[in-house]
Amino acid sequence: MSDLHRDIKQLIIEALGLEDIGIDDIGDHQTLFGEGLGLDSVDALELGLAIQKKYGIKIDADAKDTRNHFSNVASLAAFVTAKSA
Amino acid sequence: MKFVINFNIAQWRAWAPGLESVDDWQAWSRQPVVLPASDAAPDVSFLPAMQRRRLSRLARMAFSVGWPLAEGRPALPLVFISRHGETPRTFEILKDLAADLPLSPTQFSLSVHNAVIGLWSIMRGETSEMTALAATGDGLEHGVLEAAALLNEGSPAVLLVITEEQPPQVYAPWVDDVPFPYAVGLLLTPGDDWQLDLSAQADHSPGGDWPHALDLLRTLLNNETTCQHAWKNRVWTWQRNR
Repeated sequence: MSDLHRDIKQLIIEALGLEDIGIDDIGDHQTLFGEGLGLDSVDALELGLAIQKKYGIKIDADAKDTRNHFSNVASLAAFVTAKSA
Repeated sequence: MKFVINFNIAQWRAWAPGLESVDDWQAWSRQPVVLPASDAAPDVSFLPAMQRRRLSRLARMAFSVGWPLAEGRPALPLVFISRHGETPRTFEILKDLAADLPLSPTQFSLSVHNAVIGLWSIMRGETSEMTALAATGDGLEHGVLEAAALLNEGSPAVLLVITEEQPPQVYAPWVDDVPFPYAVGLLLTPGDDWQLDLSAQADHSPGGDWPHALDLLRTLLNNETTCQHAWKNRVWTWQRNR
């Protein structure tokens, strides 16, 4: 697990109040929303805000590929890396 | 003008930090004191972790007193009463606004006054009529009035939940009617065990020492037959008939 993956998992747990889950319980490629981890639309907004705050990047909620960036931890890490570059 | 309503109190539940069992409340009722400040929250482990993670203490208090009263009673209307509501959440939102920070969608969506009954509806799959009221100091009685109307329409029972969270310290100069966080749940059914009447008084009398819901608990636990709650020009008289 890379540091960025680990940080994003920690961010997910803290921002969304997942009290019974540890970073080892979230797989890099596990689906975050709906199936998989079972997050919902309010979580999506909250996580988007947390990512923007932590990494200082802008997320366009209307962009078509935003949904893909949020599909799992690995895709989020790739998105954050690309945006921060 | 004078009006009277009748109802039964089939069951009740209450929670405050350190006061969970009937025995705890019995002891408190005999010698009521202001509880020491505490971050303790009631156990709501009967809810799945993914559902309870967003619940504030206010919501946890409401669920902890309401849930056992609703067990085995599908289609139970709910009247939710809180004068001050989710003040810790709204204060966090206001702080973010003042600092020009984006608002937390979770805090925002759960700060509204009917958030608790919305969560209740989702988690219980309950689609009965639900009402969230913010009255002044006599919210308990306005809630009973609302519940009595629902009973009169034919509901076999109505759940009434009265809860207050300790507002953040910054509100202390204006909010002086929450001695400690608490929740009281009353399961009301049709009947005439209890009678509540409202009369008007010319003078505004000072409020009692305890919030009305806590004072009603004292009446219940001390087996008294009556109590009187005055708020502004309204005098509510509770009378136990049997």
